[in-house]
Amino acid sequence: MKKKILIVIMCLTFTLSALGLAGCKQAAKLSTSDDSIEPKVTEEPAETTETEEKTKVTFMGWGTDAEITTFKEMIAQYETKYPDIDVEYIVVADNEFDTKLQTMIGAGQCPDAFYSHIDRMMKYAATGNLYDLTDYVENNEIFDPDNVWECLINLYRFDGNMQGSGSIYALPKDVSVFPVFYNVDLFKAAGVTPPTIDNPWDWNDYLEAAKKLTTGEGENKIYGTGAYSLESAVWSNGAEWVDQETLTKVKIDDPAFIQALQWCADLRLVHGVAPSASETESLSDYDRFKQGKLAMVGAGTWSLADFWANCDFEWDVMNWPVSPNTGKSEIWFGSAGLSVSSTTANPEAACNLIAYLSFNEDAQRTAYTMGQAIPMLKDMAYGEYMNFEKPPASKEVLFDILENHARLATQSRTFNQEWFNEFNSNIDAVFNGEMTAQQYCESIKDTIQQLLDDSNAQKAEYSKK
Amino acid sequence: MDCISARSKNIKGKGQSKLKRRESLAGLLFVSPTIIYFIVFFLLPLAVCIYASFTNWNILSPNRVFVGTLNYERLFVDPKFWKALKNTLFMLIPIPIYITFALLFAYACHKNILGQKVFRAIYYLPYISSIVALTLIWMWLFNSKYGLVNNFLSLFVDNPPSWLSDPFWTKWMIVIMISWKLIGFTSIYYIAALKSIPKSYYEAAQIDGAGPRQQFFKITLPLLTPTTFYLLVIGMIGSLQTFVEVQMFAPDGGRGYGVGTIVFYIWQKAFSSSQMGYACAIATVFGLFILVITVIQFTLSRKWVFEGN
Repeated sequence: MKKKILIVIMCLTFTLSALGLAGCKQAAKLSTSDDSIEPKVTEEPAETTETEEKTKVTFMGWGTDAEITTFKEMIAQYETKYPDIDVEYIVVADNEFDTKLQTMIGAGQCPDAFYSHIDRMMKYAATGNLYDLTDYVENNEIFDPDNVWECLINLYRFDGNMQGSGSIYALPKDVSVFPVFYNVDLFKAAGVTPPTIDNPWDWNDYLEAAKKLTTGEGENKIYGTGAYSLESAVWSNGAEWVDQETLTKVKIDDPAFIQALQWCADLRLVHGVAPSASETESLSDYDRFKQGKLAMVGAGTWSLADFWANCDFEWDVMNWPVSPNTGKSEIWFGSAGLSVSSTTANPEAACNLIAYLSFNEDAQRTAYTMGQAIPMLKDMAYGEYMNFEKPPASKEVLFDILENHARLATQSRTFNQEWFNEFNSNIDAVFNGEMTAQQYCESIKDTIQQLLDDSNAQKAEYSKK
Repeated sequence: MDCISARSKNIKGKGQSKLKRRESLAGLLFVSPTIIYFIVFFLLPLAVCIYASFTNWNILSPNRVFVGTLNYERLFVDPKFWKALKNTLFMLIPIPIYITFALLFAYACHKNILGQKVFRAIYYLPYISSIVALTLIWMWLFNSKYGLVNNFLSLFVDNPPSWLSDPFWTKWMIVIMISWKLIGFTSIYYIAALKSIPKSYYEAAQIDGAGPRQQFFKITLPLLTPTTFYLLVIGMIGSLQTFVEVQMFAPDGGRGYGVGTIVFYIWQKAFSSSQMGYACAIATVFGLFILVITVIQFTLSRKWVFEGN
């Protein structure tokens, strides 16, 4: 009997300690990621003498080394401007950020200000964790809201049901546009003239150009295009993943949707102007473009610095082609936001901090000269940025996209993204030619609808409070 | 033995002397860090997890509504859960592989092969390296077109597998990686166990005319069974908790969720879908599952583990 009890106790201990070990590993990882990069602004000797009377504001974010450096400088500037405020800047790896923030909220230790991912802002706002910034934006001393791209301010509105209208819960930290980057040298060699804002390509023009640009064999093979943005194809063709008014009905079996998906797949399958699946797996379209072996690729403006440093050819940007069926062109745009916690003890200091980090002119200038982002202040964008000597030459294309063609991705407007992930999880079947777009969309429509229903049910439950 | 029972009688008897009480208090104080640690980091979270599994907690808002066994009912009809369970069981494959290789390697080291210390260090290296760095290197090794592995394979087969995009092969790649990583770590245990076998056994066997083969199977292997058992239990629990490899190689769980494991699924549900309650239910069921397997292992162990007699 005793032996049996002993055995059970040993089993329990083994299991628990092993479970615990996994937990500890994760925790250790989290804490090292903090310690290694956390700038510890508070501990600098010059500052410590006065900290007793200072208001302390904690700010948590992720970022590349360059971004962290910029933010540290901006925070130092902010502290000079507001000498009675002391900012503690906590840096977390981007893939651990959301886990950490949620754990901190769960533990009642939310930082005063933090990054707010566009896909997750609604979740935090609906659960009452974000400070309503609407009044602050209208009456603040740091920036003029009319000078910021309108779509950017509206991006972070939430009315308790839909994103895009209602109260403001975050300020944009940056904006990313997703144009088509093209290799000017390859265009010249193939005798292809790029489109302009006033005279855009349609899908057929794009395909014709891609055919002309596809040359060579084996190691010297050059492809005309990378994977075509499915979002752009679907939206431009007048179709949607989900109906836009209520966000409750999956519409992927709409013929316009299926046509758009098939068109994207056929660039590779039928026309051979885009790299095959196995080729993409071994070398991404993005890297292939950088090596000069791909003429047109969709990429975000966050890649500018990388392209400056690593492309030894001339390149520029252009608009996504219009659909021949509708004559319009649409593409998503991205942004990360900065939010203030609803539980902060110092809302004013925290709001001023995020406004300063978002719209400070020096910060904006640093960001664009380093190739991290494009300006969010309109006067700067149309003013000094247009004269900035580094590529792209057609900077007006970026602004045209932002003002006329950009929209928020549908999955960013739903409560969770499971339905969208499910849609993508097996989409390779279409791009490998194992299924037609029609077969694929019909086969998964019900699953997607179920996941979307779950997402909406979850939203309703959370918004009730 | 007599001494202990005499003492315990004394304690049970006419009330403790001041000294005895002080002693037991000191004893308690000495173990208290472990006990407190155990309570705070294991028992409490376990209790919270079990409690939360009966609620619709989302971690973000403090209100948790009691939903009864809803989360558990949902779990049994959740196809992704079953897929994840299948993928998780797949991760048990490395165990026999690395245990066999570790034993062979330990045996070779034990027999004083030239340069064994260098080899020991090299084999141990993967275990102490950052797993993120390792997976990045493996991604290059297993790159379908430019990778070393497929370049080698293409000498023998026409179409080497696309390791990173086909879930079936991604799982095999993880199996190979885990095996490779744990051979050195496991062999350290075997080397220690081999060292603790008294030489006299072998001398006696030699005198009785047993050859090296008989010595290995009749002496070495039986005396290693306690170590093997320990490694099996630890290995099985570790394998069932495979997480980082999945996160690195298939950040979305792979095509058709063909790579995602249970722990990965729990993490996704808890932190990207904000269904902490449901995640806790999966964790509880899975914890029970591991417990049952471990109990079975312990029960079976009496049949084959040599504990001396």
